[in-house]
Amino acid sequence: MHKRALGAVAVTGVAALALSACGGSSPTTPSNTGAAGTSKATTSGTPETPSGTAAPVRDANVDLVIWTDADRSKAVQKYADEFAAENGVTVKVQIATDTRTQFKDATKVGKGPDVVVGAHDWLGELVQNSTVAPVNLSSDVAGKFLPSAVAATKFNGQAYGVPYAVENIGLMYNKDLVPNPPKTMDELVATGEKLVKEGKAKQVLSQFVSKVGNAYFAYPYLSAFPEGGIFATKPNGDYDPNKLIVNTADSVKGGEVLADLGKKKILSTNVDDTNQDALFDTKAAPFMISGPWSVAKAKEAGINYGIAPLPSLTGGGAMQPFLGVQMFYVSSKAKNAALAQEFVTNYIPRKDVQLALFEVGKRPPALKEAYDEVAATDPDVKAWYEAGVDGKPMPNIPAMNSVWGPFGQATADIIAGKAGAKERLDAAAKEIAANIAKG
Amino acid sequence: MTKPIALAIKWVLILATMAGILWIATRLAQAGNTIAVIIAGAVGMGILAIYATRRSVPLKYLVPGLLFMILFQLWPVLYTVSLSTTNYGDGHLYSKQESVTDIVAQSVREVPNTPRYKMSVATKEGGDPTTADLVLLLTKPDGSTFVGDKTGLQPLAATGVEKTSIGKITKAPGYTVLTAKQANARSKDLSAIAVPTTDGGGIKPVGLSEAFEGRATVSYDAAADRLTDDATQPPAVYAPKDARWVNVADPSQSFPQGWQESVGLANYTRIFTDPTIRSGFVGIFIWNVAFAIASVLTTFLLGMLIALLFNDPRLRGKAVYRSLLILPYALPGFVTALVWKGMFNQDYGIINQTLGLSVDWLGTPAGAKAAILITNLWLGFPYMFIVCTGALQSIPQDVREAATIDGANAFRTLRSIIMPLLLVAVGPLLLASFAFNFNNFGLIYLLTKGGPFNGADTSIGSSDLLITYAYRLAFSGVAPNYGFAAAVSVVIFLLVALMSIPGFRRTKALEEVN
Repeated sequence: MHKRALGAVAVTGVAALALSACGGSSPTTPSNTGAAGTSKATTSGTPETPSGTAAPVRDANVDLVIWTDADRSKAVQKYADEFAAENGVTVKVQIATDTRTQFKDATKVGKGPDVVVGAHDWLGELVQNSTVAPVNLSSDVAGKFLPSAVAATKFNGQAYGVPYAVENIGLMYNKDLVPNPPKTMDELVATGEKLVKEGKAKQVLSQFVSKVGNAYFAYPYLSAFPEGGIFATKPNGDYDPNKLIVNTADSVKGGEVLADLGKKKILSTNVDDTNQDALFDTKAAPFMISGPWSVAKAKEAGINYGIAPLPSLTGGGAMQPFLGVQMFYVSSKAKNAALAQEFVTNYIPRKDVQLALFEVGKRPPALKEAYDEVAATDPDVKAWYEAGVDGKPMPNIPAMNSVWGPFGQATADIIAGKAGAKERLDAAAKEIAANIAKG
Repeated sequence: MTKPIALAIKWVLILATMAGILWIATRLAQAGNTIAVIIAGAVGMGILAIYATRRSVPLKYLVPGLLFMILFQLWPVLYTVSLSTTNYGDGHLYSKQESVTDIVAQSVREVPNTPRYKMSVATKEGGDPTTADLVLLLTKPDGSTFVGDKTGLQPLAATGVEKTSIGKITKAPGYTVLTAKQANARSKDLSAIAVPTTDGGGIKPVGLSEAFEGRATVSYDAAADRLTDDATQPPAVYAPKDARWVNVADPSQSFPQGWQESVGLANYTRIFTDPTIRSGFVGIFIWNVAFAIASVLTTFLLGMLIALLFNDPRLRGKAVYRSLLILPYALPGFVTALVWKGMFNQDYGIINQTLGLSVDWLGTPAGAKAAILITNLWLGFPYMFIVCTGALQSIPQDVREAATIDGANAFRTLRSIIMPLLLVAVGPLLLASFAFNFNNFGLIYLLTKGGPFNGADTSIGSSDLLITYAYRLAFSGVAPNYGFAAAVSVVIFLLVALMSIPGFRRTKALEEVN
């Protein structure tokens, strides 16, 4: 018995030693300091696709890791290869499916990428979580971009990335039914109702509303009035989370328009993301308020479409959409911060890079000279740009997370006639303020 | 099997397990998780002690199950409980020290009217590129060249200096210019460099070929535990409050970067005292229970009736029918739920169109609830059909024959013979189905998102389950609050556990029929 017990102790002890030895030694990381000239520029050549929806796994031996979505990956890869050859380093482009969350989570555990391609409205959240680093462009390089695009990359006065594309919604119309786009909402309604009466269309307008509402599509109705909108801006141009303007007199005017259009069945909570394109593409609706993502489907359906700025509202000005800016971020926990900054500040502001990214996304480039070149040949791009030329960037402050739900629902309720514009927007403002206070 | 072979197999298996644990421990060590490595080691030793010796025979049978129970049941529960006492969430991911470092680093602004330098990273000649102090070789826009290190900026004689077309220095006597790869390997040192200038700023690199003169506007006073931002006049002072840096003069202003800290039972207090949460809770709880019971009952009844029908030996082509009926189960639930959502559309949905109705299915509380139950019936009955078919086929034919001989009619046989026998087999599955539907997040989220919302409160939907409600509560604030979400999950867990206890008692009673 004693002998047996002793054996057990001995075996266990050896195992303990083996395990603790392994646990104690910290792994030696391979040094990346190959002598000049001996380092070979090698890249995978093709973007790495993840299996399933899992986050890409970081390769520890690569000098620069870039995360992007599948659409942009080929274009990014091309210039990543060029960068790799020029600097004698290895670069890997990986495709992330849910970049926003995966970037945050992977960075938290030290497995994040060095550079990530994303939308500007993630910025507040990324800064809040210490995930992105400032990107300091010189003023003459920054001056080559559209001012609104540069403004969108800033948070609290600091710039955090380099923009490459701008997108916004506009008015798509069926040229076979409507030769010239309407300038005002009244004109749009009159034209549409005439077509419905003639039996050429089933309804006037297709716009994403849905039962829970959509703040992004409803916002332009408020912004058509001078003091209408969601947040007021600070003197430095940042949105101020403490100054909600969803229930100002001008915002309520926008709300009244929503109520009126809802009563006339121009807007309906039964139109949502699942059917809005179909309504336009089957010619059921001659007008659709949507963005560049709807163009491919309309083309495929053989619709002779046109793109125009959003119409203006009676008593106010033109409806102004939110601008969404696509940009390159540098991770604040980047293992290769120097190369990441070098790539983002030297490559992304190049015209050929912006043009290549345009080819895969078809959104107006953020670099002025790239935009000018594309706009000269592509009328769609020009039209999208003009539809958003006076728009403001979507708020990138974290407080915007508290707005989408309550504000969207308020607009849906107003459209459905469940509540009056004034009282419903007042209630929404109260709820949003309470949510922001929760922190 | 002879003893030596059995012994060999045993040791191979033990060694394989040890190797597996060793591999896991290595991975954990790489991740720097000391406690986890120790636990893995302890588990390894435990396994060795149990299986390598001949003592503790019962444990040999119990250990695998115990380990997996701890790993996949107990550990997540404990982790959730521990998370629920913190403020972990967006803006509160890192430590206080890290928030200070980050805020100071991010406050660096370019000093107005200063030149942009072209820059190369170098070391003094003969220095080891991996360790030697770094110097910046700088070129002003006017072409004059400088050397910058931690002591300051010195002019660099132009003789022997080679530059690229844009002005980046590639060679300078007395210095070794690092390659991009070498310089990148020193990223940490590079980001710490700030060549001091006369006006209080520092020349800092941007990437590998440019430098700018910047100054951090925020400074940290460790003794007073205050952050001071001199970008505004007068300088703004920030003090720690509720795990954030809050402006002392104007509490509405704060830095977005906070830190993680323990909040004790504050998350639980909030659940039970917040008026919005309390008012919504009861209504949602009632609908939640009703939904789970109704879902189980409707799917079970339909599934069982079809199973009984198809169990009749007189029916032909059963294989075809059965496979067709399993189809809704085989299709991914996410797709089907979205298709149903389209079918329930008031204006364009096929249901209203074919029936000539104008029911606002998804826009009214009653309509939404009905729509959810109908969709769940479609999604759930094939499962019940499968398990009932299996259970029915295992009921011996002679019992039924005996009932028939005793003069029982079909209904009586069903009620007194088949149902009790069926429930023995299916009872636990009904309970499992209840627990699943109680937390059926996907269905609600895809179909109604908890809506419609009545009144001016978008935090309480009329078709919300506790789980969708908790999700919205946790994520409706400015930032996702995982600590609060964990607290709500713990409360839901306790509720489901309490309700399951009588259920399990009841299934035990059913087993005694056997």
